[in-house]
Amino acid sequence: MQQASATGGPTPAAAKSVQSPPDSGESVEAPPKQVALAMDRLSQAGRVIADIRLGADRLLEALFVASRQPQQSPKPLQSILKEEASMRNCLQELRTIGRQLEDSGVLNESLRSRSNSWGLHMPLVCPDGAVVAYAWKRQLAGQAGASAVDRTRLALKAFTDQKRRFFPHLDDGAGGESVSKRHSGFQVSTDSHEEELNDDRTLSDILLNLEKEVKNVKVFTYERLDWLKRASSLPSSSNECIVESSKEHNFRSSNNLRQGTKRVITADKVAVIELLFPSVFRAVVSLHPAGSIDPDAVAFFSPDEGGSHVHARGFSVYHVYRHITEHAGLALQYFLGRRTETSLHSLLHWICSYQNLFSKVCRLLSMDTQAALLLPPVQRPYRNFTGSKPSSTQQSISFKDQSVDENQAYHVDCFPEET
Amino acid sequence: MPNKWVLNWQPNAGTTVNSQILNEVSQCVEGMNGVKEGRWKAALTFYKPMLREQALAAEFPRDFMGISLPEQPSKYYFVIRGQKIVLEAEQTIQTIMEKLQSYKTRVTLNFEGSQYRLGDFQLRVGKVVPLHSESLRGIVMEMEYLPISSLDKSRQMMEEFFDVCQEALSKRHLPGHFMHIEPNFAEYGLFDNYTSQHTAIQYATIMAQLIATAHAVQPVRN
Repeated sequence: MQQASATGGPTPAAAKSVQSPPDSGESVEAPPKQVALAMDRLSQAGRVIADIRLGADRLLEALFVASRQPQQSPKPLQSILKEEASMRNCLQELRTIGRQLEDSGVLNESLRSRSNSWGLHMPLVCPDGAVVAYAWKRQLAGQAGASAVDRTRLALKAFTDQKRRFFPHLDDGAGGESVSKRHSGFQVSTDSHEEELNDDRTLSDILLNLEKEVKNVKVFTYERLDWLKRASSLPSSSNECIVESSKEHNFRSSNNLRQGTKRVITADKVAVIELLFPSVFRAVVSLHPAGSIDPDAVAFFSPDEGGSHVHARGFSVYHVYRHITEHAGLALQYFLGRRTETSLHSLLHWICSYQNLFSKVCRLLSMDTQAALLLPPVQRPYRNFTGSKPSSTQQSISFKDQSVDENQAYHVDCFPEET
Repeated sequence: MPNKWVLNWQPNAGTTVNSQILNEVSQCVEGMNGVKEGRWKAALTFYKPMLREQALAAEFPRDFMGISLPEQPSKYYFVIRGQKIVLEAEQTIQTIMEKLQSYKTRVTLNFEGSQYRLGDFQLRVGKVVPLHSESLRGIVMEMEYLPISSLDKSRQMMEEFFDVCQEALSKRHLPGHFMHIEPNFAEYGLFDNYTSQHTAIQYATIMAQLIATAHAVQPVRN
């Protein structure tokens, strides 16, 4: 059937039709013509969508005018009716185009489920924008890819040229955001936040301080790809074989050795920080860009959990850690908004406050009425959280002997600072 | 492995277990928003030594038990409670034992019932029936907290959850209650990280209670 070969997907179901060349008698038009038609229709659809947007704006405007001057002239009413009619036409047109696209195979089920569309079979649209009709024209995609690389190279060249022109003082030859750059004091670079106030606020310093202040925590750093590998190799909680736990132990100890050297060498490539409180939880913090001290995501997991979903934007399979992750997202945004330079420091210390997750009492186990689940107190206040060091002059209370207020733990329903 | 408590139903003095109680417990769990997940089954076997002179039997431990657990289908666990021994072996050891004929089955008990999920907790409610019999000898409940596997860290959570369960059950005015006895795992050489061996020991431990319960009702047939 023509529509299968138009998508170009070598899925098992469509394999037969893909193999047969399109000019075996069934095609109506030659493939390039189909592609041109499809592109045409897509741009038509784009125009209709733009019309619909405009129509919606006009409708809103008319409604606004009508509300300002009630019962005045029938003009707003007329314009509303007119807009409504034209919107209907546009929507109908869009439907027709959609149907045409479906019939020609440009829109189909596999493209709708986007998770799979670039996976098993050939993409219909290359990153370059070129459209490829079917598998045996794969070289077109290759060419499109090659031209995409060229274009990127040109774009990068143009960018560096402009950067050299407009920001000559940044041109040290090193394009990246290495740690030393932070101390130069220039405020212009896009991602580095000034460290002048706290000279010891490099990533290594923060992590070393954390390890010193908080006992029981194990801190590891990774490059982003390395973390994915490690996450997948963690034993998953369903695997209860005793041998696994000893294997995991060995992996950890060898990993420790590896981590020791890793942190020293590639401090500017660190993109993932793992905080592990054995038997309580594992927190994964992602830094963006790599090597900076700007956290951009955090997630909590069971210490026994493993798999590719264990990363800073993933969610645990257990409710308790899912709840904490949600709450942590809010806390992260709060820390970032309040004072970006210290956000990582605050975040990490706040994460460490969860080490007594299963012992600190609100009343320990309470029914979360929304979700009808029994959870320990999963929310800890972050608004006035300072995570101060003992040597800090701001606080008279050191982190170690925190007052009761500083380290309260709450259930979702008991949380006092609900926004 | 997540921490698990195995609880035995202790009927009030003068009462017995019956399937009505089992139904009430199941309904109670479902009332706590428990989601039924499936069935489970475990088995426990008492062994007795095969000796030419039965008089010597007293020298051999009487509490030698073999346990098969649903979460480890390829394993078989041996417990000698008196000497605080627990052993994990492959399933095939049962074949070897049959061939050796050194120990024979005295009595086998089956634990079977339904499994429920309550958020991060997993509950199993089951009846205790001897093999080839329909008479209900007891009721057990397994309580598991899935996210963490440290005995120490999860203890408070388990205690609180146990309290919640007790509270829910007490509303039904059943003639009895669930009891939790934590065996001294350290004596068996086990550690804080929970494993199926811990479960085997817990089953072995509640056997004493079960037998006492059964005794109160009728003499245990040997």
